[in-house]
Amino acid sequence: MNTVYLEKEYDYVKPKTLAEALEILETKKNVKIFAGGTDLIVKLKIGSPIEMDTMLDINGIEELKKVTSDKEGITIGAAEKISVLEKNEDIINRFPALYEAFISMASISLRNMATLIGNLCNASPGADTAGPVICYGGSLLIKNHAGERRIKAEDFFAEGGKTVLEPNEIVTSVNIPAPAENTGAAFIKLSRVKADLAKISVSVVLTRENNLVGSCRIAMGSVAGKPLFLKEIGDGLVGKTLTKELIIETAEKISKAIKPRDGGNRTTAAYRIETSKIISRDALEQAWERSGGKLS
Amino acid sequence: MSLHEITLKVNGKTHKLVVKSNELLLNVLRDRLYLTGTKYGCGLAECGACTILNGDRSIMSCLVPAVVADGWEITTSEGLADGDKLSPVQEEFINQGAIQCGFCTPGMVVTSTALLRENPDPDEDFIRNYLRGNYCRCTGYAAMIKAVQVAAQRMKEEKNE
Amino acid sequence: MIKKENQSVIGENTPRSDGFAKVTGKLEYPSDIHIPGMLYAAVLRSPYPHAEILSIDTSEAEAMGAVCLTYKDIKPIIYNERSVSVPSQTYRDRTILPNKARHVGEPIAAVAAETEELAFKAVKALKVEYKILEAVFDPEEAMKDGAPQLYDTIYLGDEAVKVHNNIGVIRNINEGDCDAGFAQADRIFERDFELGRIYHAQLETKNAVCKPEPDGTLTVWATAQSIHGTRQMLARALNMPLSKINVKKMPFGGAFGSSIQVNTVIPICAALALKARKPVKLGSSREEDFYSHNKYPAKFHVKIGVTNDGIFTAAHVKALIDFGAHQVQPLPLLGCMAGWFASLYKYSGNIRFDGTAVYTNKTPCCAMQGYGNPQINFAIESMVDIIAEEMNFSPVDLRLKNYRGIGDEFWGQGPTIRSIIKSCGVEESLVEGRKVFKYDEKIEPSKKTGVKRRGIGLARGFHCSGTGGPKEGEVIDYSSAMIKINEDGSVDLCTPVTDHGGGTLDALRKIVSETLKVPYDLVGLSPADTMNTGYDVCTHATRGVYCGGGAVLNVARKVKEMLLEVAGRLMDEHACDLELVLDEEAHQGRVQVPGYPQKSMTIGQIAKQAQNNSWGTISYIDSYRQKNCPPCFTTHFVEVEVDTETGIITVPRVLIYGDCGVAMNPDLVKGQLTGSFNRGFAYTVYEKLITDEKTGALKIKGLISDYKLPSTTEMPYVGNMQVELCHTYEPTGPYGAKGIGEAALASVQAAVANAVYNAIGIRFYKLPITPEVVLAALKEKEGASHS
Repeated sequence: MNTVYLEKEYDYVKPKTLAEALEILETKKNVKIFAGGTDLIVKLKIGSPIEMDTMLDINGIEELKKVTSDKEGITIGAAEKISVLEKNEDIINRFPALYEAFISMASISLRNMATLIGNLCNASPGADTAGPVICYGGSLLIKNHAGERRIKAEDFFAEGGKTVLEPNEIVTSVNIPAPAENTGAAFIKLSRVKADLAKISVSVVLTRENNLVGSCRIAMGSVAGKPLFLKEIGDGLVGKTLTKELIIETAEKISKAIKPRDGGNRTTAAYRIETSKIISRDALEQAWERSGGKLS
Repeated sequence: MSLHEITLKVNGKTHKLVVKSNELLLNVLRDRLYLTGTKYGCGLAECGACTILNGDRSIMSCLVPAVVADGWEITTSEGLADGDKLSPVQEEFINQGAIQCGFCTPGMVVTSTALLRENPDPDEDFIRNYLRGNYCRCTGYAAMIKAVQVAAQRMKEEKNE
Repeated sequence: MIKKENQSVIGENTPRSDGFAKVTGKLEYPSDIHIPGMLYAAVLRSPYPHAEILSIDTSEAEAMGAVCLTYKDIKPIIYNERSVSVPSQTYRDRTILPNKARHVGEPIAAVAAETEELAFKAVKALKVEYKILEAVFDPEEAMKDGAPQLYDTIYLGDEAVKVHNNIGVIRNINEGDCDAGFAQADRIFERDFELGRIYHAQLETKNAVCKPEPDGTLTVWATAQSIHGTRQMLARALNMPLSKINVKKMPFGGAFGSSIQVNTVIPICAALALKARKPVKLGSSREEDFYSHNKYPAKFHVKIGVTNDGIFTAAHVKALIDFGAHQVQPLPLLGCMAGWFASLYKYSGNIRFDGTAVYTNKTPCCAMQGYGNPQINFAIESMVDIIAEEMNFSPVDLRLKNYRGIGDEFWGQGPTIRSIIKSCGVEESLVEGRKVFKYDEKIEPSKKTGVKRRGIGLARGFHCSGTGGPKEGEVIDYSSAMIKINEDGSVDLCTPVTDHGGGTLDALRKIVSETLKVPYDLVGLSPADTMNTGYDVCTHATRGVYCGGGAVLNVARKVKEMLLEVAGRLMDEHACDLELVLDEEAHQGRVQVPGYPQKSMTIGQIAKQAQNNSWGTISYIDSYRQKNCPPCFTTHFVEVEVDTETGIITVPRVLIYGDCGVAMNPDLVKGQLTGSFNRGFAYTVYEKLITDEKTGALKIKGLISDYKLPSTTEMPYVGNMQVELCHTYEPTGPYGAKGIGEAALASVQAAVANAVYNAIGIRFYKLPITPEVVLAALKEKEGASHS
């Protein structure tokens, strides 16, 4: 561990085009992407085992900075900074749970450096943006020199801080489809202090059809080896009327479904289980109210 | 290891440097440009003592390889004053008693400057959130929040004049 | 000329003199010192908690061009890095580099190289052969027969002393007759309390730069609260004359007690510089700094006897301190803890303190804002609330009935340093505070409802202002100052007192300004070092203004005498017929004849004429010891809000009273009270350092990202933090001033814990009270009430 200076030696490249970047990923081994560096440099400093011979800085690639909004949804480029995204009117209006996740992260200075795709690719089980992106039905566009593939956010993560990315692949953008009418979303996070990683977090995106749940997606952070998409529990609410009782029942179900571990120095498994009930309840209530529903 | 020729504009002055790919911006500022106002407090961007501005945005320089900062327009605490004339933020930090040991002060003042550039009329919640990544062990923060509020007020009045 | 009667900068808020340098990033701290040609050093630290060092192979590191330092390079002089206590009361167990590692992170060897990068590489190239020994981390385990022994022999003063069962110090103190006192009590209360290790987390890590000068002297720039303490320790450990070591006074990025002692980076850096014959810089990374020093943890068993009238009849505290691998110094710590305990209340004069301090294979502990005071205060002030509730007294009235105030004896630094209290803001703070905070209207916890529950709590505390006293004791305490009047009426003040940020040096300038009637901005601060100043023990024990300022006042008065004598000669008047006033218009001090003010000279004119007459410089240097250690008091009223579903504690409202006598810099005093609230809240609710018993390393491994501290968003809103200064005047203090620094922390912990009790009806005896702890306790209480 050395927080004073970087001990690792590597080559640094900053391609000007995506094609160049994909070529590098194809031909070189042990390439790591530098977007904001807030995870990569920290990991290098604390001595996490990182195989890196080349650092590929994507901040010179214009097309990766693009953010386009239309009635289909929003597409966010890999190199756009979180602090810019959190001021994006479309995100604030149409994707409030993602906005709330953004502003919960660290501090403004770190958000001036960090990127959404970086947060997703770092794949911490507690990644703040993972839950909202999953619950909004987001997908990641992954490219390599030969072609591209699109992966649903909930299929992107693997256990233990890994993703399905191959070494020669890069995520170029995240696409989040426009929410249906009467969508309500919520993001709640517990942490030691505000500028902190999550002890536990929950995201809920649901739609309301009259007074019935049309669709419901629930995800939790920091309770498993990867961001946890609680598909069955969310699906189980479809077609029902959300009442306070049902919400509490669902929250109870969630707390029994998760098997968190002690969070090292941050928190305990018992705390996570206990508070999962509270924040799930609150998130479901909030999402329902924001969808225009009334709670009985 | 690769070497890179970079250009850093720091406090209005242009520097051409050759840096190693793993040299950090914080260390370049401190050890090669002798701008020691920006501090090492933790090396992990937790404390904010290394905060500088790139343009109008506050950045934690301890996590930035210098080569990444090629072309940046950097302002450090040494560059906020206009000669001997301190900025309103700097003056109010002094006036409101918001300085004790002073080690966090450069980072705080830089971040506060970015705050007021982004939002010239911040409420207390905005200030609290903006400064939450700058750690001070001495003051308990209250006087700093006041300093930013008073500076904001002064800058609004100066603008109206 | 205009004479202003009550012109005084004392008590006025003035812009701090180092403000410009601090906001422009231009102030040089020890970590900023750069000397052309200097080498960079790095330290090899033990990865094991307990291991003999069989050999260190430096050949590879030397081949890289590094200068290496191991225990073989240095005479094994055994010292104690904290030179505050008299030598006969100082245990010694340290060498600059050891041949046995006694804690993870202990410096074992060091290198210096041309670049920092090379130094880090060279450190990695050092090959150490360790013989790993069994380690012990728990103090109770450490005292058992058969436990691994850290030491065989250490020194107390000049005597060799055998260490048994890892016990470093036993200190038992008795006053009055506790048995009789307890016999007289109607009720007896006994409880156990525990506070864990925490870390100072000062923002600048420990740093030193040492330069061997061409004249054979060594110049040192370092994070040090005592330049003379540093010089004395280096001279001893390096076997050099004091006259050859010059430690420069520097600002530093916080200390909170962690630089009272000479931290390991300093002698290692000095030894490397002498070996390399080049300037050497040795910094610390944050992860290294975590292993440099921690705050003393404590386990207390407290017993207090009370009559039905609410009088404390006796009190007995048993304390167990685990102080880590070196003594820094638990002997005076135990004495001080006894004193803080004894001085809170009268206890009918019957107190007993049994203190045991134990070696363990962990980072050495040192003072942290209170030297045991916050720890024992948490226990006693919690007890007072417990007693109040059980016996149906108001916690305010119970305190008013029993506190030590004016006329009572106060133990300023353990049993050998005591003086009579002559100023006291306790009554004012309790009587006013209970009204302002509506304390008496607080609702008992059982009546609270809702998910978020609010509670209010109160605690009072104090600290000494320095360690002076009528009789010399086991603690050295005096300060020196030099003042000279310049030929234009400006004044130079040279003082070895360091300023941690509280504005101490500006306070000292104000004392000079007031005494010599020189405009404040004309009082200059000279650069100070150990060659050009007399001794000052250390800026610790909240003595900067009271003791450091006391010395400055003493010297200023002498300079005033000399000035009037010179003026008298020039003006053909007796010195005793002259008066000294501040002339605002001329922006000078002025000596004039009362009744005939037209006959006058400015101080500048006097000094200039003295020069022209070749009479000499008007100046004086002297040392001075205060004969009192007046307590500065604090009272905290805290409102907390506990979320019973998440266990999260927040603080919506705080009212703080500080009694510092006359406040030299009121805004800075309030700043200290505010900052200390932040630190105390962190101590109570957030901070802990746990050792992994398998590896001996900290569980957080020195990562600051796992040592989260409350920031802007965790503090009450500015409008809800009320800080008041009591209206007191300390007759023995410079212009009525006492200190405030450490008092500001003492009572925060208990006030928060008492408030939490009022909110949820659960009392916590162990810190920190994290949300996990709170939630578990709430669940347990719920479970218990259902069964």
